[in-house]
Amino acid sequence: MTMNYSIDPSAATLLPLAKKEGIATVWDRHKAMQPQCGFGQLGVCCRICWKGPCRIDPFGDGPQRGICGADADTIVARNVIRMIASGTAAHSEHGRHVALAMLGVAEGKLPDYTIRDEEKLRAVAAKLGLDTTGKDLHDIAGEVALVTLGDFQNQDHDKPCRWIASTLTEKRLERLAGLHALPHNIDAMVTQILARTHVGCDADATNLIVGGIKGALADFDGMCLATELSDILFGTPQPTVTAANLGVLKEDAVNIAVHGHNPLLSEVVCDVAVLMEEEARRAGAGGGINIVGVCCTGNEVMVRHGIPLAANYLSQELALITGAVDAMVVDVQCIMPSVSEIGACFHTEIITTMDDNKIPGATHVPFREPTAAENARQIVTLAIDAFRRRNPQRVVIPDAKQTAVVGFGAEAIVGALGALNADDPLKPLIDSIANGNIRGIALFAGCNNTQTTQDSSFVTMAKKLARNNVLLLATGCGAGAFAKHGLMTQEATLEYAGDSLKAVLTAVGTEAGLGGPLPLVLHMGSCVDNSRAVAVAVAVANRLGVDLDQLPLVASAPEAMSEKAVAIGTWSVALGIPTHVGTMPQITGSPAVTKLLTETAKELLGGYFMVELDPDKAADRLLAVIDERRRGLGI
Amino acid sequence: MKKLLRENAIIFSDPEKCLGCHSCELSCAVAHGGGDLHAAAVQGQTLRPRNRVVAAGGVTMPVQCRQCEDAPCAFACPTGSILQEEGRVAIREKNCVGCKVCVMVCPFGAISVKAEADPPTDGRTNRGVARKCDLCAHTGREVPACIEACPTKALSLVDLEEFRQSLLEARVAELAQSHRYLIQRKVKP
Ligand code: SF4
Ligand code: SF4
Ligand code: SF4
Repeated sequence: MTMNYSIDPSAATLLPLAKKEGIATVWDRHKAMQPQCGFGQLGVCCRICWKGPCRIDPFGDGPQRGICGADADTIVARNVIRMIASGTAAHSEHGRHVALAMLGVAEGKLPDYTIRDEEKLRAVAAKLGLDTTGKDLHDIAGEVALVTLGDFQNQDHDKPCRWIASTLTEKRLERLAGLHALPHNIDAMVTQILARTHVGCDADATNLIVGGIKGALADFDGMCLATELSDILFGTPQPTVTAANLGVLKEDAVNIAVHGHNPLLSEVVCDVAVLMEEEARRAGAGGGINIVGVCCTGNEVMVRHGIPLAANYLSQELALITGAVDAMVVDVQCIMPSVSEIGACFHTEIITTMDDNKIPGATHVPFREPTAAENARQIVTLAIDAFRRRNPQRVVIPDAKQTAVVGFGAEAIVGALGALNADDPLKPLIDSIANGNIRGIALFAGCNNTQTTQDSSFVTMAKKLARNNVLLLATGCGAGAFAKHGLMTQEATLEYAGDSLKAVLTAVGTEAGLGGPLPLVLHMGSCVDNSRAVAVAVAVANRLGVDLDQLPLVASAPEAMSEKAVAIGTWSVALGIPTHVGTMPQITGSPAVTKLLTETAKELLGGYFMVELDPDKAADRLLAVIDERRRGLGI
Repeated sequence: MKKLLRENAIIFSDPEKCLGCHSCELSCAVAHGGGDLHAAAVQGQTLRPRNRVVAAGGVTMPVQCRQCEDAPCAFACPTGSILQEEGRVAIREKNCVGCKVCVMVCPFGAISVKAEADPPTDGRTNRGVARKCDLCAHTGREVPACIEACPTKALSLVDLEEFRQSLLEARVAELAQSHRYLIQRKVKP
């Protein structure tokens, strides 16, 4: 029974326990929700005005238009691009937050933060076209922050956002400009989508989708800047060895789970925890303080500091059911509101930190950057207090723990390759692709979804692609899945990689001083860090003088669920990358929108969506696309 | 051995619970289309529900065939296509000529006469046949699709023997209650 829910071994231990204790989990709620509304699944239900809700009969017998006259195509297109707007808003609020923090650091107003990667700051300034000669670090940081914030403010419609303009290939920029799809201002894109989908506005499905694509590219812009500025403030990921799954919780330590997405607070919590070890020991925790990650906050601290990852999206509740988490500190995005209810079944403090993300039943510690360390101290103190209330009898930490070698940002990958060829680091990669040792590259991203057995599609697809010599990159909860299932190890490379891929990974890993191959799947970071994969792809494309839609590069979100995933998938398509989705998207009620995204997009953008729920078949389709691209390049 | 004579089962709709979401119609159409929702939508199939959600007099509820014991439709059908079969009123669709007499005599408006899909006429036939709720017989389901789909559990398949039994029990319980009350008050019933 349990195994239909998840292939995660910790679920097998903890779900029966939850059942025994009468604690409902996400899977129980999924079951109670069945069957789900067909109109919603098809995307043909409109609630955009109060004449509604309206729903279109997908089979032609009943109403074909909403009360205002909108048909299925209009309604589906509006619904899906509203999801893009929300995803874009989520990522770029995160980005704005980091950019403002950087400005604060530059102005000397945030004593708890510093610039940890000076080299990256200079590189970013140069990339953005800023003249930095003779300027001191804080001035440069200030300029970078202001230029970045300009991407939220620019009112000149003909001037694209600075980050996107300095990130993509020339050809891609021209192509997107030709479609009027280059965003000039992130906020404006979100607003524009909401404006054009208001009752009585844009009704042309194609025009709506192009507007959505533009919004999704604004999402890409927001992700790029969030990732790069976070690296400057908190350090650029470098390969480190750590561990994943719930076995990383410690019975004798104060366990603090940091959950959500934004590193601004979690980083400081990590810093402060080190200083409060003694206090924890005085409270009886011989093991001191153990910070573990959940979801993308987890990925952020994992790739930067090697902090172990306890859970990805669908197992966040399981972390609490261990009875060993003393505090779960959450910020924004992908936090199930159920955590406070489950926390209340135990001694666990659920601590919200952002004023615009509260959960009933949780303790709220308002987090402010100028007082970050103080806030973090408050949080750790709450965790230590909770530890004192912990009932050792109820602690069940599953014996599930896998080693994970993580931290392969663009710099780390180029760095590892540089060990083979210092003058031209990309050459070994390009040569391997050209001679077929690496058949192609696949980026795995995105969520977990109760419609798929947790992690299973990720693992099935990765094993099949690796056997066929596809180089695998991963971010977000997909990366979490691979880490938990031991696919980010050298052993996994030896076991699952095809012969030629194994040879390449071994050559690079050995040269880079890892004493063996690179891990089978390279962990690039959180979901906001998908831009890292694009950075590598753009470098390769530029080096070859081709555009992104010619590279044997594919993306996949086999267990996607969030609006952010819709935005990411859409920009991925817009950048020319064939993108697989393993969840049925809520668009099939409109043949026009379905065709637009899965077929017409190919002509317009080079990238397109592929929907395939069966992971085995999905892997075959991705291989076919990779081969088609290879033929196109004549290799 | 003589078979136990049972009344035909019916689908009961509770107007107190129905929200008018049309999920029952959608699931009925899909169940009789033989495929799944997304495939049917993507392939642009025309599927027809055999129930209809009706709002009138301040209530909303789906209406479907009552599986009448002395069915006027069966009585009126000139080709003998409608008959009693395994606890329900069945239509032999291949014998139906689409004359709509059944539509005219059904007191509930439960029958529609249309082609399943939207094929062009071939000059001779519109391919319309009479259709109505068949309690999802021959769809391979254990529970009729509409019942499964209703998010508020407004629908149920009623076995009349059981239904009557619980009605009787409820009535008796009520009587017993008032009896006790009257005795307490020393009132002679
Ligand atoms: S916008 Fe049109 S389709 Fe949507 S709810 Fe209003 S009337 Fe209905
Ligand atoms: S599914 Fe249930 S609530 Fe919805 S219309 Fe049908 S009976 Fe009413
Ligand atoms: S179709 Fe109408 S007349 Fe025929 S059995 Fe059903 S309710 Fe009775």
